[in-house]
Amino acid sequence: MQPGALADLRVLELTAGMAGPWIGRFMAWCGAEVIKVESKTRPDVTRQYVPPWAPERGIEPQLSPWFTDWNAGKRFVALDLKHPEAVALAKRLVARCDVVVENYAPGVLEKLGLGWEELARVKHDLVLLSTSGFGDSGPYRSHVTWGPNIEAVSGLATTSGFAERPCTMTHYAYPDSLSALHGLFAVMCALDHRSRTGEGQRIDLSQLEATIAVYGEALVEPLVRGRAVERLGNRSRHAAPHGCYSCAGEDRWCAISVFDDEAWRRLCRVAEHPEWIEEPRFATLDARLANVAELDRRIESWTREHDAFELMESLQAAGVAAGVVQTTEDQYRRDPQLAARDFFEEIEHRVKGTVVATGIPLGLRGTPGRTPHAGSAVGEDNDYVFGEILSLTSDERRRLTESGAIEPRDEPRR
Amino acid sequence: MVSDPHEAPAALAGRRVLEIADEQGAYCGKLFADMGADVVKIERPGGDASRLVPPFWGDEPHPERSLPFLYANTSKRGVTLDLEQASGREIFRRLAARADVVIETLPPRTLDALGLGWDDLHALRPELVLTSITGFGQSGPRAGWRSSDLVANALGGAAMVTGYAEDPPVRLAGSHAHVMASTNAAAATMIALHHAARTGAGQHVDISIQETMVAVTHICGVGKWLDDGIVPRRAGTGLFASVPSGAYRCRDGLAYLMINRPAHWRALAEWVHEETGNEAILSPLFEGPSSQRLEERELLDVWIEDLTSRHTVREVVQQGQRRHLAFTAVQSAEEVIRDPQLAARGFFVEVGTEGADGVRLPGAPYRHARTPWRIRRPAPRVGEHDVEIYCGELGIGEDELDRLRAEGAI
Repeated sequence: MQPGALADLRVLELTAGMAGPWIGRFMAWCGAEVIKVESKTRPDVTRQYVPPWAPERGIEPQLSPWFTDWNAGKRFVALDLKHPEAVALAKRLVARCDVVVENYAPGVLEKLGLGWEELARVKHDLVLLSTSGFGDSGPYRSHVTWGPNIEAVSGLATTSGFAERPCTMTHYAYPDSLSALHGLFAVMCALDHRSRTGEGQRIDLSQLEATIAVYGEALVEPLVRGRAVERLGNRSRHAAPHGCYSCAGEDRWCAISVFDDEAWRRLCRVAEHPEWIEEPRFATLDARLANVAELDRRIESWTREHDAFELMESLQAAGVAAGVVQTTEDQYRRDPQLAARDFFEEIEHRVKGTVVATGIPLGLRGTPGRTPHAGSAVGEDNDYVFGEILSLTSDERRRLTESGAIEPRDEPRR
Repeated sequence: MVSDPHEAPAALAGRRVLEIADEQGAYCGKLFADMGADVVKIERPGGDASRLVPPFWGDEPHPERSLPFLYANTSKRGVTLDLEQASGREIFRRLAARADVVIETLPPRTLDALGLGWDDLHALRPELVLTSITGFGQSGPRAGWRSSDLVANALGGAAMVTGYAEDPPVRLAGSHAHVMASTNAAAATMIALHHAARTGAGQHVDISIQETMVAVTHICGVGKWLDDGIVPRRAGTGLFASVPSGAYRCRDGLAYLMINRPAHWRALAEWVHEETGNEAILSPLFEGPSSQRLEERELLDVWIEDLTSRHTVREVVQQGQRRHLAFTAVQSAEEVIRDPQLAARGFFVEVGTEGADGVRLPGAPYRHARTPWRIRRPAPRVGEHDVEIYCGELGIGEDELDRLRAEGAI
């Protein structure tokens, strides 16, 4: 096995939720040693998972699938950062790290005595990424937000979707994942600068700003012209047909994108309606765009009678871009492409045995990553981190635990 | 590239990137270029087809006025090159021999067929990173399938969980599958460069747009489903894991609320009680994690809207935030453009563009204290830097340039 691409890096995480933790998850997968600091009074919110199949068991902090998705492969320590000795320990850890990732509310790090100035004093070439809803300045700096709030406030929700809807939102807390991917790139850029100059720096990532950058191409028009964005739903201004078309069965749809007249003619042949090719109102892209409502009805009169997967196969065989609107179950059970590429990852879990997680899509062919484990408790790696990395004797560790700076490992219920 | 000695340094100064990318990968090159890498966009003679994606500046179709193109190609230099011709391929090899990264979005095996695939480039320059962004990746039974942003949203799982149960699945405004794959590719490329700097070994980065979308949507993904057996589908504005959450009606618009911690629920319940006199909302049955409130979700929404509908959006956000509740406005594009938070941080930037006096564009997605993100130049015109790069940097003489032009290689 190749050593991971980031095997020379150590990362400290002061994070909860997804936008911060997902960055460390990627880095751990690439071989970095990632240490996450939590406390029992404020564990990562994603640990507050109650299994819906056994609600009587209450919160299962190690079993949450989201905790796996965003935190598998890391080391976990428990520190009460309101305790001065815990802050001192955190600083000693920072001195041994290359990167700190944090997503506390802006200003909290400073209040704890772990602000940029303090951290840069103990580690002169540190890279610190702070990620927050609105960024570290401006009138909304201290506003409480989660990913979906940012979809709403960024304008993404009102520019997306069908024209008659007041707003359209994802069910996947999109600003969290898009901010994490931007944050990972931002950290790697800062490390590149560090490798050339020896200089560290801090990075302020506003999830609002990252979200606007991501749908920027749709915002350019109102920026340039001061006029509202036309909500297109699934339609395109340069392709037709272009939509998710209803197929046989309940909530079954096939997405189809036809960008040119040749693809249109191929679609007509797959549909066994060669006579459509002859109709002038659909013969050219401009004509199809001008008659798009009628075109969509026509396409759906055909797709409705067919299985979505069979439609996708026959359209792709003819060279037309098409894809089933897949559920998670479809992706896991009946997607031969994801299976052939071993996309989903089976991870050893300390309580469950093994779990399956969504793959890390970095595509690093020379240094494929892996996730060594999942299912850690708060404070799982206290002994390793404070003993091996900071070289504290067991007596010192006991004293710091008795003083309340280090919190003992949270024992699993079973 | 011209550099001003008084200017802040760039994080990726000195990094050289070649880009052969349509709209699937242009944002990847933009991320590098706005952080200071020298990104050279290689287009076929006449210009890339993505220059003709509407809408256009001034409404008239023109290869230098496509607004999506102007946005996704900032800070790059541009040359034209025909890789179908031997002389074009030879010039590409000379450019690649000086590059750290090649980003490409051609169908799998296209570069191999031209003698410019991973093996060829690796032999030419062992530390080079080749980043390929394609619909389904370089391997597997569907590697040759056609994709689009919409198709990737479908197969990648995003469309099934966006919008309302009673509507068809839908994608978001913009090109999110392409932009996410590009961002993922940029991060992966930087990780590969980090590894190459330490070991001298470059690698092939194989980005699948579908896989990227599966990962981006993974809160609705396989881990949750294998655990609870519930397949996520479209469900309006509320997030399934957080009760309450969603867009609530106010007197003059919508405010979005999300509750994720027990303490936040208590603060909300107290506020609803104070203003509406609702006693039932204070019941201890609703306290604790979201799962405690799951079954009464719709009833709680009615009670919360009884509060929010008495106020303007502004009042709900201000008073809610004072109580540490995650209330934000649901904003239109026009409101975003005038947003005081973005204005205070100077987010939108003006970029001078030929024939158009200053286009305002979204600005920095992250702010590096030492090496700030910056748009260094507007998107290149077709072949804008042919002479600068071919003559100035590769040392091609003017006669040869004329000959290459006559052959149609550039």
